Amino acid sequence: MSIKLAADHIEAINRHGEEAYPEECGGLLLGILEDGVRVIREVLPLHNIRKDSRHNRVELDPLDYARAEREAAKRGLGVWGYYHSHPNHPAVPSRFDLEHAPFTEWSYIIVSVLEGKAADVRAWTLREDRSQFDEETL
Amino acid sequence: MPKISVPTALRQYIGGETTVDVQGDKIGEALNSLTAQYPELKKHLFDAEGRLRNFVNIYVNDEDIRYQQREDTPIKESDEISIIPSIAGGVTAENRIKEAVLPELNNDEIARYSRHLIMPEVGMEGQRKLKSASILLIGAGGLGSPLGLYLAAAGIGRLGLVDFDVVDHSNLQRQVLHGTKDVGRPKLHSAKDRLADINPHVQIDTYELALRSDNALKIVREYDVIIDGTDNFQTRYLANDASVLEGKPNVYGSIFRFDGQASVFYPKAGGPCYRCLYPEPPPPGLVPSCAEGGVLGILPGIIGVIQATEAIKLIIGQGETLIGRLLLFDALKMRFKELKLRRNPECPLCGENPTIKELIDYDQFCGITPPAAQPQAAEISDWEITPAQLKERLDLGERVTIIDVREPHEWQIANLENYGSRLIPLGQFGDRVNELNPEDEIVVHCKMGGRSAKAYEVMKKAGFKKIKNLKGGILAWADQVDRGMPKY
Repeated sequence: MSIKLAADHIEAINRHGEEAYPEECGGLLLGILEDGVRVIREVLPLHNIRKDSRHNRVELDPLDYARAEREAAKRGLGVWGYYHSHPNHPAVPSRFDLEHAPFTEWSYIIVSVLEGKAADVRAWTLREDRSQFDEETL
Repeated sequence: MPKISVPTALRQYIGGETTVDVQGDKIGEALNSLTAQYPELKKHLFDAEGRLRNFVNIYVNDEDIRYQQREDTPIKESDEISIIPSIAGGVTAENRIKEAVLPELNNDEIARYSRHLIMPEVGMEGQRKLKSASILLIGAGGLGSPLGLYLAAAGIGRLGLVDFDVVDHSNLQRQVLHGTKDVGRPKLHSAKDRLADINPHVQIDTYELALRSDNALKIVREYDVIIDGTDNFQTRYLANDASVLEGKPNVYGSIFRFDGQASVFYPKAGGPCYRCLYPEPPPPGLVPSCAEGGVLGILPGIIGVIQATEAIKLIIGQGETLIGRLLLFDALKMRFKELKLRRNPECPLCGENPTIKELIDYDQFCGITPPAAQPQAAEISDWEITPAQLKERLDLGERVTIIDVREPHEWQIANLENYGSRLIPLGQFGDRVNELNPEDEIVVHCKMGGRSAKAYEVMKKAGFKKIKNLKGGILAWADQVDRGMPKY
């Protein structure tokens, strides 16, 4: 499996990360599965519903997810992953990310935002046995 | 037949469909029906023990079954059931790129904090965060006692204490920071002794003053977390406003009789402030203080320890804090209740268009006349009588009818029965005022003079002319006339 993400999608993720800094942010990746490749067609920024620890935690609203699925389905798309930001931390999944990653079928994009500037974007996928993430090429 | 919609990522296990028809009257049955049709799905939704995985939410229409009857939630034909992943992420502090330098722990400290250190949620890093943290305790009384004891023991690096009171016998029933030998000492002195004994690694800074508009911001600014252990509305609003203006979390607690409340006010983290909950203070005198209404001695222990827990969670960044939640505790029923608190967009302090941008006059805001503007203690208004004046008239053999408007259980502690006093509790006073003769000289009293002032008003409205209020109540009588009388 791998992921295909256009430059303007990466740009949208960077921008969201910078706007939310010093807090974390997140959103969904909508697209299609084509020959085993997750082809992303749209980046959907969402609200961080965490009330506390927003500088190191992000959580999306389950109802936002449900709406995104419904809207995506109307356009023949699906939810194939999600992205979130790591303010002042590398674009590498944390133990918390590993414990909270829902699907082995998804792509996980992390943007590192250093001192308010998006510095690095990397993509990851969850191993079948959920033991760790492997990096995907962007 | 009810339908379950399945997220994109799992549709490959149901033949690419978006929904599956299932059977059952309850969610648990519907899920069994789903995995019976598509066994591949099972390991994605359930863990090895057969429990729903922690990131799997099941919604019936727009409601999470966790807040209904979980697997027993009933379903109808027309219900929309959805499997929705919970999506969360976040950095772990270990791989922080720019990390504030946390202080090291020496071997003594490692031994002392070992029960913290062996829990991954605290660990070395959390303990070092506690050591680098500073907490301001406003009040070293009922709530301040358990707060100080546990926060010092937990290894908070610096504790600031604000109080200007002196230890009194009536404090000892709940203010466990202070002992019998401390009666008469400033509370900050006994607090500092006790806390330094519990943990000499903690720096304790004391502020022997009343927190006021002209000193609050400067003090609050120096601390990471502010804890409100106050017993009056002026200081409570002041602590709230100063915390919001300085962007600090304010860990709130309050107690009265058998009831307590706690929350964390932290608009900077998206939560509400005290003003979102209570925009205006109650009129003065409406809400009795603990000195008037009493408090179960254990209650500040429970609420104070909840506040201490929240402060520690805020510092180590673990768990779910009380931001946006008001916890209510009833000691008689032994029940906790929880209310959702929302930020008020109209809040004058933390709302979208704030009008309060600096500290205000909190005595005025709460309708309290500042002490300086009150008549001197020696002065006496013509509607009042001092204990000494009353005693003199009684000794001269004047016929004075003394009416005690306190409660029967207060009467049992101390009363003026020897002088013919009668008990008519304030709550019954309006109905029973006709038992009194307007021709008599009447003196009303309570514990401190507040409730009897209300009784005075009732009599005045009823046309009584020869009435006086005992200034300072029975406590003043005990101080000035009868030193042998017990005080409470």
